Amino acid sequence: MQAIFRAFFGYFFLVLIVRVVGRRPGRQLTPFEFVLVFFIGGLALTAMVGDEKSLTNATCQIVAIALAHYTMAWARAKSRILARLLDGTPLILMETDAMGRRVWRTETMARMRIQDTDVMFSGRDHGLKTLQDIECAILERNGDISVMPSSRSASRGGGDRRCR
Amino acid sequence: MPVTARRLVENSVAKVNEEVAVGEDLAFQRAWWRFERIVWAFFVIIIVLDLGGAFGRGPMAQAQVTSANHSLSVHYERIERAGTPSILSVKMDAGAIRDGQATLFVSDSLVSGLGARRIIPEPASTRIGDGGLSYTFPITEPPFSVRFELEPPGAGRFPVEIAAGPGAAAVTAVVWVVP
Repeated sequence: MQAIFRAFFGYFFLVLIVRVVGRRPGRQLTPFEFVLVFFIGGLALTAMVGDEKSLTNATCQIVAIALAHYTMAWARAKSRILARLLDGTPLILMETDAMGRRVWRTETMARMRIQDTDVMFSGRDHGLKTLQDIECAILERNGDISVMPSSRSASRGGGDRRCR
Repeated sequence: MPVTARRLVENSVAKVNEEVAVGEDLAFQRAWWRFERIVWAFFVIIIVLDLGGAFGRGPMAQAQVTSANHSLSVHYERIERAGTPSILSVKMDAGAIRDGQATLFVSDSLVSGLGARRIIPEPASTRIGDGGLSYTFPITEPPFSVRFELEPPGAGRFPVEIAAGPGAAAVTAVVWVVP
């Protein structure tokens, strides 16, 4: 029974840790973040399994984690508040201000620990060559950065879109 | 054929000035950032406490109790971790020795709660009774010490009584085991 509680605790604790550690662009896992993923995984495994190495224990803990995950996903779909707590909301990183200038959201960039190079990475992924080609950039809930091409690049096939 | 449930697509994601629908909620995000700062501060406190030994294995966890006549002193960790080995050592001096033998009494909680696995040195004899175990050691020269290797199986509070013999005044070492 204790092992099941350990599995539940481990799951919800890791959900909190991963949420607090913060979003990073998903395809840009740096070596540091790889260390984080593997190290936390290894440490959690040690504490969750303890000295119970039986197949029964492993099966029960896996089922417990699956149940916890299913419940979390169900509750998240039912409650917008929980969805926000678990995933946050999309965040604008670059936008067009009232005077028509494109500006960085410096507070968001700093707090989410995202640099202009991360935005440019996403821009290149969309075939954009410079930051001038980006009208606005949004950090999505899953950590991806969406970029909208500027009117300058619209003439090369992009659209004229602004985001607020 | 079953009917597939459908719902009209509505602009349920916030959209401003007919521009790209983002659904950003900066007020919520700022509240979350405040919460994150509190969580990080809490994490720092946890690490500092852990380094200090508040969760065992550190200076704050080390403890010692001595009997009134100073014939027996116990070094132990007042905070232990479940499933983690540790040492509880009992030092006895000449006052605890009679006829070339020393008898050490420990309460049951040392075995049941703190998981005593081994005694160094091996006692010459062991007697069960009075709510604990009495070990007899042949002694040639005081002082001497007895070490108990512990590995607590689970969390809880475990007071351990230790005395130089079943009838002697006992010292109590209270050990908290964290999960």
